[in-house]
Amino acid sequence: MTSMRLQRMPLAPPRVAFVLRVLSVLLAIVTAALVLWASGHNPLALGAKVISSTFGSSFGLEDLSLLFSPLIYCGLSVAVALRIGAWNIGAEGQFNFGALCATGVALFVSGPVWVILPLMGAAGMIGGALWILIPTLARAYADVSELITTLLMNFVAMLLVYWLATGPWLDPSGMALATTSRLPVSVPAFWGIVHWGLPIAILIAIALSLFVTYTRWGYEVRIAGANPGAARYAGMPVRTQLIGIMLLSGALAGLGGMMEVAGTVGRLQGGISNNYGYIGIMVAVLARAAPVGVLATAFFMAVLLNGGIVLQSQGLTTHTVLAVTGLILLYAAIGDEAAHYKILRTKAKDG
Amino acid sequence: MRDSASVQQRLGLTPGTPPLLSLKSVSKYFPGVVANESVDLDVYPGEIHALLGENGAGKSTLMNIVTGIYKMDAGELIVDGRTRDFASPTDAIEAGIGMVHQHFKLVRAFTVAENIHLGWPETPKRISRNSLETRTAQLATDLGLAVNPKTVVADLSTGEQQRVEILRVLARDAKLLILDEPTAVLTPQEARELFTALRAFTARGNAVIFISHKLEEVLEISDRITVLRNGEKVATEWTKDCTEKSLAQLMVGREIVLTETHKKSAARAKAAPVLSLSDVSLKGEQDTVLKNISFDLYPGEILGIAGVAGNGQRELTYVISGLSQASSGKIFLDGEDVTRAGARALAQKGIGHIPEDRLHSGMAPTLSITDNAVLREYGAPPLSRKGWFSPRGAANLAREIASIAEVMVPDFNMPARNLSGGNQQRLVARREMRIAERILIAAYPSRGLDVGAINTMMRYFLDLRDSGVAVVLISEELEELLSFSDRIAVMFHGEIMGTCPTDKADVETIGLMMGGTRQEDLP
Ligand SMILES: Nc1ncnc2c1ncn2[C@@H]1O[C@H](COP(=O)(O)OP(=O)(O)OP(=O)(O)O)[C@@H](O)[C@H]1O
Ligand SMILES: [Mg+2]
Repeated sequence: MTSMRLQRMPLAPPRVAFVLRVLSVLLAIVTAALVLWASGHNPLALGAKVISSTFGSSFGLEDLSLLFSPLIYCGLSVAVALRIGAWNIGAEGQFNFGALCATGVALFVSGPVWVILPLMGAAGMIGGALWILIPTLARAYADVSELITTLLMNFVAMLLVYWLATGPWLDPSGMALATTSRLPVSVPAFWGIVHWGLPIAILIAIALSLFVTYTRWGYEVRIAGANPGAARYAGMPVRTQLIGIMLLSGALAGLGGMMEVAGTVGRLQGGISNNYGYIGIMVAVLARAAPVGVLATAFFMAVLLNGGIVLQSQGLTTHTVLAVTGLILLYAAIGDEAAHYKILRTKAKDG
Repeated sequence: MRDSASVQQRLGLTPGTPPLLSLKSVSKYFPGVVANESVDLDVYPGEIHALLGENGAGKSTLMNIVTGIYKMDAGELIVDGRTRDFASPTDAIEAGIGMVHQHFKLVRAFTVAENIHLGWPETPKRISRNSLETRTAQLATDLGLAVNPKTVVADLSTGEQQRVEILRVLARDAKLLILDEPTAVLTPQEARELFTALRAFTARGNAVIFISHKLEEVLEISDRITVLRNGEKVATEWTKDCTEKSLAQLMVGREIVLTETHKKSAARAKAAPVLSLSDVSLKGEQDTVLKNISFDLYPGEILGIAGVAGNGQRELTYVISGLSQASSGKIFLDGEDVTRAGARALAQKGIGHIPEDRLHSGMAPTLSITDNAVLREYGAPPLSRKGWFSPRGAANLAREIASIAEVMVPDFNMPARNLSGGNQQRLVARREMRIAERILIAAYPSRGLDVGAINTMMRYFLDLRDSGVAVVLISEELEELLSFSDRIAVMFHGEIMGTCPTDKADVETIGLMMGGTRQEDLP
């Protein structure tokens, strides 16, 4: 007599984990399609529309790339913080503030492009790091949870950008009502409207993943993230590490903001962050905080977001997209757990 | 093997009484490891059944199967005459089987009352803090386990936390209580109290499965003993028919020769001390935990530290290893002031530290065995060069440490928490001995180790000593201290009551000092 049973394994085999990830995504899309169908839409037609307008033309692909890039920056930002056990819910705010600082440089400093652009990049990173500084110090010295503090800082940054863009920094030409004037410099494009922000993001992701595996600091961060007690025991400077990593996290989001304002949008305006910071949380979690994984999940979220924009033109609201992303997260979590199990066929022995 | 009728009779049960728990050829495999192979086990009402075996023999795994944490791969589990297959510990406890684990599973930030009621179907949906605490107090008196319902668990001593764990299980009407190495972390006094509570529990017709590496304790408390070796059951014996020697032999499968350990180091030449503490004090959150500690530690000696756990031993190890900084006083290593050197610098100068609480400070249980094994040597060549880290070098070092620690590791990428408790301890101990070029601080190093492993480790301590390393050995087992140390210091309430050479020490005076009498006031 053979019977089947499930065994939980300590490690999920990578192949199984990957297959289940893909399955969970498909399942989420099928679920969404069923709901659409039940509410009177034709999911196949909508799906075809999304695919053709995303992948069917270079315009679609360029749009996609422009969504992809900020999601990488924000995803990496959240992922890096997760590595040391901190939740950066504030990538949204750091993105905004980074964009703001970069804009300040562009508007008020003059010089050759090759000086101004790096300066803007630096300003974006410093801005992002500044924006997470208070939550970081509060966590490092007073053990205040960064979860709330980083979140609160988001609203401040958002309002600050609105105020500057509609007030002091408003386009003096009178052409625009709620944005600054067009920045005098921009990140150059290399393919249609896609600028260098994207390849730089990809390079950073690769560099970070090498950093985690092949540097001494990466090892220390791994230990401190898993058990601060063990890190202290080994004499690692846990507090300094925490501060360093959280500032790096802020800087990455800030750089994303700089690329957005100087590459994609061209002006500072309210809502420039477009929820990238929040979606970055999902990107990082789905990637299990692995920097190269972030590339895959960020791309995937970009496809979804782009699909949402297409669907909107078909009379659906963005909520549909949010619902699908939520479903994916749910199924992926189930899939991740399921990947730990394997089915055993056992010969039941007699009594 | 005896037929089961006589088992029941010898236990004073009516013939034909079915076992509370019966395992029939239970097997459990992990990738690369046979944790249990065709294990049979019967546990009857009213008995305390001890489970013995070397580190990694499969004791914890077997009990995790009984309580629904793991699923067996083959075999049968019969409870009260019915075949069961528990999907979770909640199922098991509903069937009357509860377990207290090797590593406690309480929520440290919650109070005792909250922990008792957490995840208990009988907890009313709405209940005030007050009635939660009243219920807990009532349960505690009913079951004869004194606890304070209001205290936050993190503030309890290890023995008290264990009492809460036991109360948690008994409150749910358990008929079978499984204890995984309960006494490893208890003071002898706490162990006495535990045994009394267990006897009262079995006298009410319940049963206990008791895992331990301390043979004398097993011989004292149990009715029957089952021995596992490499996942297989070797024998179930009546305790009356066993001796420490016969049990040890059953566990390892051959006669174990415990090496003569009494040889003392050659009389010390007047060497300079390797470590000197002068008037070291440490303030804790509320009160002073170390008071004016002064002593010299000489190369080539083992200094035993006796005392009831919680009298400042942990803090002393922290101060010497640089994990805590003395509030006042000075510490000299080879004549150099290292009071503010910090843990990393001291480790680099050759101070190894086997910590009291390996899971919270000595390891990162969720990370791989490799990451854990290299925790002391990751920063220097060949593992790190100019800031670059070599995963290959780390893997090699981890393999090396595991092999000298005699830990079988099927997969070095596996999280360290999957190792058996004793194997975790072996790994940490070896890792620390490697870097201990000047001093080894060993806090309760034999906790969780089997008899053979303790013997191997102690022999290694002696080798270290003979090569000129100073060893600070903290232990609650007086016997261990008396047979291995050259001198013994006794701690009480954060102070050293006195120090004497082991050959002049006797159990009685040490006992008095452990109770708070100063050496100069001794009769
Ligand atoms: N979750 C797991 N994944 C993989 N292997 C495991 C897991 N749990 C236990 N093992 C392995 O199974 C074997 C038996 O482990 P177990 O914890 O049952 O030993 P033990 O008898 O309790 O030892 P100790 O006295 O050291 O506590 C060990 O080799 C251990 O590494
Ligand atoms: Mg065990």
